[in-house]
Amino acid sequence: MTFFQALVLALLQGVSELFPVSSLGHTILVPAVLHWRNIDRSSASFLAFVVVLHLGTAVALVIFYRAQWYAIVRGLVASVVRGRLTGAREERTGWLLVIATIPVGILGVIFEHPVRRLFGSPAPAALFLLLNGLMMFAGEALRRMQRDAAQRADKPIERLSYPAAIFIGLAQALALLPGISRSGSSMVAGLLCDLNHEDAARFSFLLATPVILAAALLEIPKLLAPQSHLVLVQAVAGGIAAGVAAYCSVAFLTRYFRSNDLRPFGWYCILAGAICFALARKGIIT
Amino acid sequence: MRIIALGLAVAFFIIGILYGIGKINLFTESGAGHAHHVTHLVVCWVLALLCLIWARFQSAPRR
Repeated sequence: MTFFQALVLALLQGVSELFPVSSLGHTILVPAVLHWRNIDRSSASFLAFVVVLHLGTAVALVIFYRAQWYAIVRGLVASVVRGRLTGAREERTGWLLVIATIPVGILGVIFEHPVRRLFGSPAPAALFLLLNGLMMFAGEALRRMQRDAAQRADKPIERLSYPAAIFIGLAQALALLPGISRSGSSMVAGLLCDLNHEDAARFSFLLATPVILAAALLEIPKLLAPQSHLVLVQAVAGGIAAGVAAYCSVAFLTRYFRSNDLRPFGWYCILAGAICFALARKGIIT
Repeated sequence: MRIIALGLAVAFFIIGILYGIGKINLFTESGAGHAHHVTHLVVCWVLALLCLIWARFQSAPRR
């Protein structure tokens, strides 16, 4: 892997991890479209590189939401020490995040490897990317129908129920499929649970932080593999680039979702997914 | 509920150990390395910890 390739993959990871367009799908499709055949996705050095990219992304998310994470962790610890829930805003948000993280934690360890083995090639990733776009349109349409039919008002995050948190967590687990976006699926689920776009995005990013961080920390032994020093410079530069890209992305998206919805990303996923699927079917990308 | 929570905590803790020493291979990649079992161990222990917290909430005096 060249330095340029590492930088492109890092920026791609940092941006697409948070934009609702599937980072996993893009890291399969983009090297395939660019015919980067020198990248062996199963090699120890590449896996070590990916770990550092995830660490960079997670650190960027923690830094961006540092004040909120501080309040959430303080609320969680205080409630455990007290042995009682007070219903305070940050404490409630913290427990909702814990509950929502459980499904993806369990489903991730059970299904991650079989799913990647089955669908970790360009054609399925493109197809799921297309479905990801359709899911965003369906989510927006369902939300409008719900609001029109029941005249329901938006809820703040802390008023979500625990079953709703599990629903959002299960939706996030769909992102085990390459091409389905973690933030996209959890945002759509949040919208269907009566969050507005801004809160659905914030909950999705907060929810992504422990998952990305835990996934990266659990994979840290791969950094100790003998081959990993081969990509040390690329990994460090890539981690920083992914972190900066992730920070800029979350800053942009939190502003964007104050007044916009998921449909532009839906169009992008449908178009990119359809084109890549057609190219994969014709054997142009493999 | 407290007994159930504690029972689950103990069960997850033991299952975690069994994954860690490689006695259980359920839902692991066949032929996968040690790291994959460590992931299962960590997830089981996190679930055990959450069950203990659940038990703690059940045992605190109600206002």
